[in-house]
Amino acid sequence: MKPFFFLLALLALSSVQAQTPAAPKFPLRPAPAPTQSQPVIQTSALLKVNVTYQSHSLRIPWQKEGAGGRRGLGVVLEGNRILVTGQMVADATYIELELPESGQKIPAKVIAVDYEANLALLAPNSPAREATFFAGLRPMQVDTSTRIGDTLVVWQTGRVGELIVTPVRVSKVMNQGYVVENASFIVYEAQGIIRSEANSFTLPVAKGGKLAGLLLRYDSKNQIATLLPAPIIEHFLKDVADGKYDGFPSLGIEFQITLDEQFRDYLGMKPDQPGVFISNVTKGASADQAGVKKGDIMMSINGASIDSRGDYQDPHFGALSVSHIVRGKAYVGDEVEMKVMREGKELTLKGKLTRKQPEDYLVLPYQFDQGPKYLLNGGLLFQELTRPYLNSFGNEQQGGPILRLARIAGSPDEYEKKGKKKIVFLSAVLPTTSTQGYERLSGQVVDEINGVNITKIEDVAEAFKKPQDGLHVVKLDQFPFILHLDALKVEQDNLQLMNGMFRIGSLSRLE
Amino acid sequence: MKLRPLFPALAALAFASLSTAQEPAATTAAEAILVDEWEGIVNIDASVLLPDYREPWNSGQPSGGSGTGFLIGKNRFLTNAHVVSNATKLVIRTTNDPEPHPARVVFVAHDCDLAILEAVDGSHFEKMKPLTFGGIPKLNTEVIAVGYPIGGDRISVTRGVVSRIDFRPFSHTQVDSHLAIQVDAAINPGNSGGPVIQNGKVVGVAFQGFSGRVAQNVGYIIPVPVIERFLKDVEDGTYDHYVDLAASDFPIENSAQRKALGLNGGGIGVMIADVEPAGSAGDILKRGDVLLSMDDNPVLNNGLIRFEGELMDMNEVVERKFAGDKLKLAYLRDGKKTETEITLKRFDPYVKLGEQYNQRPRYLVYAGLVFQPMDKNLIDAHQIADPAANYMFDNYLTEKLYVERPEPVLLTSILADEVNTYITPYAQSVVDEINGVKIRSLKDVKSALAMKGKRPDFVVIKLLEKDRPLVLKRDLAEAAHPKIMQTYNIPEDAYLGAE
Repeated sequence: MKPFFFLLALLALSSVQAQTPAAPKFPLRPAPAPTQSQPVIQTSALLKVNVTYQSHSLRIPWQKEGAGGRRGLGVVLEGNRILVTGQMVADATYIELELPESGQKIPAKVIAVDYEANLALLAPNSPAREATFFAGLRPMQVDTSTRIGDTLVVWQTGRVGELIVTPVRVSKVMNQGYVVENASFIVYEAQGIIRSEANSFTLPVAKGGKLAGLLLRYDSKNQIATLLPAPIIEHFLKDVADGKYDGFPSLGIEFQITLDEQFRDYLGMKPDQPGVFISNVTKGASADQAGVKKGDIMMSINGASIDSRGDYQDPHFGALSVSHIVRGKAYVGDEVEMKVMREGKELTLKGKLTRKQPEDYLVLPYQFDQGPKYLLNGGLLFQELTRPYLNSFGNEQQGGPILRLARIAGSPDEYEKKGKKKIVFLSAVLPTTSTQGYERLSGQVVDEINGVNITKIEDVAEAFKKPQDGLHVVKLDQFPFILHLDALKVEQDNLQLMNGMFRIGSLSRLE
Repeated sequence: MKLRPLFPALAALAFASLSTAQEPAATTAAEAILVDEWEGIVNIDASVLLPDYREPWNSGQPSGGSGTGFLIGKNRFLTNAHVVSNATKLVIRTTNDPEPHPARVVFVAHDCDLAILEAVDGSHFEKMKPLTFGGIPKLNTEVIAVGYPIGGDRISVTRGVVSRIDFRPFSHTQVDSHLAIQVDAAINPGNSGGPVIQNGKVVGVAFQGFSGRVAQNVGYIIPVPVIERFLKDVEDGTYDHYVDLAASDFPIENSAQRKALGLNGGGIGVMIADVEPAGSAGDILKRGDVLLSMDDNPVLNNGLIRFEGELMDMNEVVERKFAGDKLKLAYLRDGKKTETEITLKRFDPYVKLGEQYNQRPRYLVYAGLVFQPMDKNLIDAHQIADPAANYMFDNYLTEKLYVERPEPVLLTSILADEVNTYITPYAQSVVDEINGVKIRSLKDVKSALAMKGKRPDFVVIKLLEKDRPLVLKRDLAEAAHPKIMQTYNIPEDAYLGAE
């Protein structure tokens, strides 16, 4: 009943001026005074950040989706830099900074972003107004001294910039997936009740007035806050500081726990021997270059002994996944030393840490800010397979072509061995004269066009320059295996596609 | 009562019924004449045992169903395969005789959903007149469906017209398609196996329909050509299954396609997009060939053929033939026309993708690890979620995975014990190798487990797309095995099939 009454009252009030003042029986009560126990203070280290974003359509790749907005908080750092989460600026078309108290705004730009670590650094994009805008702001320091048991405070701002402070208590430090696929780093897990304010992204978490982390996610049911911790923020900022952003290094291994005694016996491991079973080594990655092989027992990395679960003893946090030694503590270009056991013998392997770039994957793990690559010819739409494309189907299509494509993404070895750099597939067929009879096809992997082996989308463009006898021949890995197109009609249809009903601005995006 | 779960939109028409009592006959003279004619249309009550693919050593879940059948010869009743599938006991009743007559299956053809029964004691039916068959009824002509559907115990008649004649998937196996006739006479659960009659002759057997939520008045009957084929097939005492061309065609509608394939219009010829290497045409046809005719009957660009005055799927020509029959093919390759003759045979791999019946589930248990051969029943029963297993099932035919693994084996569950406690998360995986032996069928599992490879003290099981081998110490596994069998109440180590 209550909301109903409330609504009535509101309606009545809004029409007061037009009607005779008979309606409002409910006097407007003054807004309740803030009842939080925390004192109302201002901070000079927080900014409001407003982002307008527009993502590309994954299945109609020449189009963009509708624009949307995100509001969050940014942390002011040294040199008029603003730290936000990567999610905040993904696919941004316009970014602005806003002073919480005065509401003054200036545009901003991204100067570094790491979607794996979910961090971005912004700078103002208005030289003339920068100095006055930042005059009253004080940069925040990053503090990595947080330990399990510490109480941190989550910062939010109210309507006019007042600081709302919520305490949370750190209960765990562990490795966890961040936002994009296969990106995991350490997190602080903290307990506490966080009320939700208008700003939903990038809530800073402080310890003694310094930055201890950013809120990564909040599980309101269990009241657990997962925090993107200061050590990862510090790593990101150090990396940015040298002018060239390299990203977080990785070894490129997968490992399996060795708690199973029979398995240990089989591997020739002694009862107390440390180490995990290396089940996969990514070709060309750091571990591969250092000589690590599938089947090795990885015993230590950079002097840290690895237990049967794959953890090492961190001096500050206790047992922690060994991946933190590489991802969190080391930088691209650093030396790495690994002890492995192979056929009963201990080996020391050394190498340099590298990072596998997202574009080095057969199936792009994530993509922001850029549109998906595609090529449209005569109505056949070719795309490179990406995780976001697969994810766009969610659970709606678990069988058939999507299942088949998802499996390629899950075990790319077979295609990489065949020399494929990317999976090019026929994603859709637009009805044209040249695609008559092919309209229902989609999801077939493209192997060859006009005799040219297709290893990436750029090859498609090259291959279509070489029709034979006025025909294009497209060979697919799945039914119906072979398609023929009339080269002349294709050109006519291309003109139609650009200027006709579909109004496709460009027939390809290869960059 | 419940409908047996079948193809999502289609419900087969046998229904489980609790009714046991039959009303005594009390008919007026006018009806009696009618009913006498139909005395050979009988109710079939089936007690069934649904096999348990999760605990394959168990006998299964008792259930029951009821359908219709009709006399087609001396003590021979025709009905649907799905009425008598997995039956442990069958009883025939007529509308005017309260006496239950025990019956048994003589022939069953799951691929076309037909079966022949006989009464254990046929003397009661000796004086009855068998029903006779007509042909394919014309569109928009009247038919009646007679049987024992839901809504009462006595015989029922519904009336309608022939709505459509088309190739349709048969929902009993979910993978077979044959000619079917659509009628708008009400066909309801229990009508299954009953005759559909025109001018006193049987023109089909009622067998499936859409539930009322999907479509109205859409019932399907198995037409006479399919029935006749079945009757002819079993003349030699066994049912041999349908034969297949095992090649897939892709219509030629595109002018570039026509030019590339060397066709000069005229509407004749369909592109062969794929050929199953293990199928009838495996050595003859190739991808990109253009099939011009079958038995001198021209194949149109869309894969249809004119057959008995109607345009039908070209496979109808193959449908009417039997294992060992010849088929004349004319095809175009690189612009050159070739005529040849192939011998038709069954194509088995696809059967695994369909529902199977009257099969005792096969399995092998070793130290709590349960191995089972992949088929649809298994995938459904275990609700397999492993991507490698789902890929294997989904692409078994399309990616020709059957060539490498005729019978993929799944490690379906692991019955927990000290000996296997660390590997229990690996249940529901596809087995690749055991002790270095590639697993191509369930029987391979038995021999491979016994095999002592380079490391005789260990049993090493490699799974498809899994990150580590499963390793058991042979002595520990063998010691734990009998104990696990006892704890989990498994009477036999394995059932590898009849023989």
